[in-house]
Amino acid sequence: MNRLDYFVLIATILAIPLYGLWRTRGSASLGQYLKGDASIRWATIGLSVLATQAGPITFLSMPGQAYESGIGFIQNYFGQPLALIVVCAVFVPIYQRLKVYTAYQYLGERFDRKTQLLGAFLFLVQRGIAAGITIYAPAIVLSTLLGWRLNLTIWFAGGLVIIYTVMGGTKIVSITQRYQMIVILVGMAIAFAVAVYRLSPHLSFENTLLVAGKMGKLEAVDFSVDPHKRYTFWSGLIGGFFLALSYFGADQSQVQRYLAGGSLKESRLGLLFNAAVKVPMQFFILLLGAIVFMFYQFEKPPVYFNQPAYQRAAENGYGPQLTGLQTRFDDVFMQKRAVIRAISSTSSNERDLAMTKLRELDVQARELRDRTKAVLEQAGVDPKNKDSDYVFITFILQQMPHGLVGLLIAVILCATMSATAATLNALGSTTAIDFYRPLIRPNASDHHYVVAAKALTAAWGLIAIGVASFASLVENLIEAGNILGSVFYGSILGLFLAAFFIRRVTGSAVFFAAVLAQSLVFVLFATTNIGYLWYNFIGCAAVLVLATLLQQTIFRGTEAHAAA
Amino acid sequence: MKRDDNKPDARSWRKAYGLALSLFAVEVVLLYLFTLRFS
Repeated sequence: MNRLDYFVLIATILAIPLYGLWRTRGSASLGQYLKGDASIRWATIGLSVLATQAGPITFLSMPGQAYESGIGFIQNYFGQPLALIVVCAVFVPIYQRLKVYTAYQYLGERFDRKTQLLGAFLFLVQRGIAAGITIYAPAIVLSTLLGWRLNLTIWFAGGLVIIYTVMGGTKIVSITQRYQMIVILVGMAIAFAVAVYRLSPHLSFENTLLVAGKMGKLEAVDFSVDPHKRYTFWSGLIGGFFLALSYFGADQSQVQRYLAGGSLKESRLGLLFNAAVKVPMQFFILLLGAIVFMFYQFEKPPVYFNQPAYQRAAENGYGPQLTGLQTRFDDVFMQKRAVIRAISSTSSNERDLAMTKLRELDVQARELRDRTKAVLEQAGVDPKNKDSDYVFITFILQQMPHGLVGLLIAVILCATMSATAATLNALGSTTAIDFYRPLIRPNASDHHYVVAAKALTAAWGLIAIGVASFASLVENLIEAGNILGSVFYGSILGLFLAAFFIRRVTGSAVFFAAVLAQSLVFVLFATTNIGYLWYNFIGCAAVLVLATLLQQTIFRGTEAHAAA
Repeated sequence: MKRDDNKPDARSWRKAYGLALSLFAVEVVLLYLFTLRFS
């Protein structure tokens, strides 16, 4: 990175919060601080919802995911449009009608205080940890490759978010997310164009895609019902539906985004915008990863993209082993490149043979990468995240022109800041409204609660930075972040679905059902190897079944009160 | 919340949901055609 890159980077990440602070200057009522105001329109809500979900891992890890395993991950988003329609039709009208600040207030109104607190508590635990991971994940990659100090990166990104989120509340989060998302979309579109432009002239774009497809990178839809396959149409549609329903319907970091603004119409249009654009957006991000993969079929890639870790292992006495693996990897690369170059000038039969040869060589290259990782682990270098997380950022740093490098690093930091701001805003609001106001100071003034919400938002920011600072002690951190949501979301969704659809169930039945369901998910998580997306379904179904059973047995006779 | 939001035009919203569903179906079909063409 040169001075131009640093200028673009700093100007981009500072200008947006400064503009947001100017737009939200002056004091705000509790309603304005927690829900924004009527000037927030559907486009801002839509971009804000998109930015909250995307986060830095989408732009950092997703292209690497496609580089490594192809674009089949797109199927995980297939349940989302359906879930968003259900949220529009069922959840949003209820939240808007009751004029709640948090989703969990609805549980309090429908059931009782303890169920409200349980829903809010489950949200706070998983989102509090997730906020730390959102800050840590890009910080570890950027500090490793750019030589920045890890703690300084965490404190800079986290500190800036805390300042503007505390000062401006929900409105500033919505405004900054709108512009941050525009920067992200423009940056990724330019990165896509540059990646296509940098592809080898030896193959047409269509032939490039054909080769990528034959190497297993472009299987977007797989209708297989094999439960051992990780990404299929069915697992994405069913598992993804429950995950998205819980996330958009019952996670305050999203609920607060679409409750901002003036009306039911704006909220619904913002969510339907997401239903329309999410799958195409993820497709292009994953396709970018497949294009980067094809770029590295002509331009020699390192055997291991996390080069600082590789260098440390070499310095620890593993140099000869690593050099041997790199030499063999380079040899396989040269053979692959020769086969791909010949493809455009061969007949159809010869092309099939060439493709078979190419796949064999690709398996060899993959084995060499796996063996390199094993050597790094043996050397005690022990990288905390997958090497695929370093693929796209390496491509940016080595292949993009100056200025654009700064913009794309800004894209990753904008994604970090927008996702973290939404989370801190939701954590502060939930603690203030669901815990502080009813349990500690029930009858204080509006101004008092605004100050309390600000202080609690700042406190959650510091907790997130604390989690991020100690996150390196945890193995497989990014994967842990993905699993964390699924472990908690099922029970939370179960609470809300029981509230909406089981009319005669009471607070006590659903409360104990949720506690038992959450315990069941913990036990399954500790003792089995079920794919983590299924925890959403299991937790939710367990709450609904147990709540009905408990209502019919232990809490029988209390339905009249519940239905009243 | 505006007054007219309390009586949303249910038919219009059903059409909007139908449109969103149709768009999703088209996206899946296009992705499937992409898979058939390039895999």
